[in-house]
Amino acid sequence: MSVVDHSSIELSPRISEAEVADYVALLKPRVMSLVIFTALVGLMIAPVHVHPVLAFTSILCIAVGAGASGALNMWYEADIDALMSRTANRPIPRGRITRAEALTFGMTLAFFSVMTLGILVNWVAGALLAFTIFFYVVIYTIALKRWTAQNIVIGGAAGALPPVVAWAGATGSLAVEPLLLFLIIFFWTPPHFWALALFRSDDYARAGVPMLPVVAGPDATRLQILLYTIVLVAVALAPWPLGYFDAVYGVTSLVLGAGMLALAINVFRFREGREASRATRRLFAFSILYLFALFATLLIEVVVRAVLPAIW
Amino acid sequence: MADNHRPDGIVLTEAQKKSRRQRSIAIALALGVLVLLFFAVTIVKGPAVLVRPL
Repeated sequence: MSVVDHSSIELSPRISEAEVADYVALLKPRVMSLVIFTALVGLMIAPVHVHPVLAFTSILCIAVGAGASGALNMWYEADIDALMSRTANRPIPRGRITRAEALTFGMTLAFFSVMTLGILVNWVAGALLAFTIFFYVVIYTIALKRWTAQNIVIGGAAGALPPVVAWAGATGSLAVEPLLLFLIIFFWTPPHFWALALFRSDDYARAGVPMLPVVAGPDATRLQILLYTIVLVAVALAPWPLGYFDAVYGVTSLVLGAGMLALAINVFRFREGREASRATRRLFAFSILYLFALFATLLIEVVVRAVLPAIW
Repeated sequence: MADNHRPDGIVLTEAQKKSRRQRSIAIALALGVLVLLFFAVTIVKGPAVLVRPL
């Protein structure tokens, strides 16, 4: 005899229909591509020869670690993702993947990426990758994002670390050059994300995320964008006179910085109507090009230096 | 008693079967890549690991 009448309980376990593409979406592929690119630059400018297999291993582990961070970010932010039009199509809000599945997926990838990088490459890089994932998930996503308008300023450190991890993977230590790359990405993050937040502020307000335009208003955000852009342009230019990167990089940085500054000034000047909207979107789009072109210059220089002696 | 209600247990739909197969293949490929990676790095970093006293 049974106290519970099992025949009255209808068990209906959830059976996943999630496809591989849904799990790929959890990795935030577009963010991952930027991480791969910046990490590749960090690895290539290191003044040591790295075996291609070890270079590939480093970049793969950093990419998977970034994907793990993305999955864990989506695990924690599923509630606010569902409220924002930009993120409502993500796998968890759409019901393709459960939060528990995303958490398991993210933790598994984080574990394997850190351990693999540590065992196969070196533990300085492995520890830095673990710190990057921790910083993005715990410090940025869990602690800062819903608490302060400075969320992306401090949290931006996580996005700036991949070239440092890659440099550590190549050399087993740290130096000034990867820290310069770190600073460039760190100061690039606020103008980039605040430009996005300006034309998505309704989304963030609906989700209750205290982004700067929501908390301090658009005008204060425009001023902050301008100030951070001035610092960014100076920081990105500094490695040239300081002798870390050469004149080709310096001139590129100068030209791109002038463009970035002009667009940030436009964002500050035009505060209403279509002009304001256009200025903000232009700065957002150009900021991506700015970072890409700056890092691409360093990459091209390294490749040219390696190839030219072989040709001549 | 419950078995009388569901004699066949859980029956997957075609979509569930297809997605499970896809996921299984992806996991297998990922594990394969991991094995190859460890093998390749072992060769690159330390071929001496293969030359050892029995």
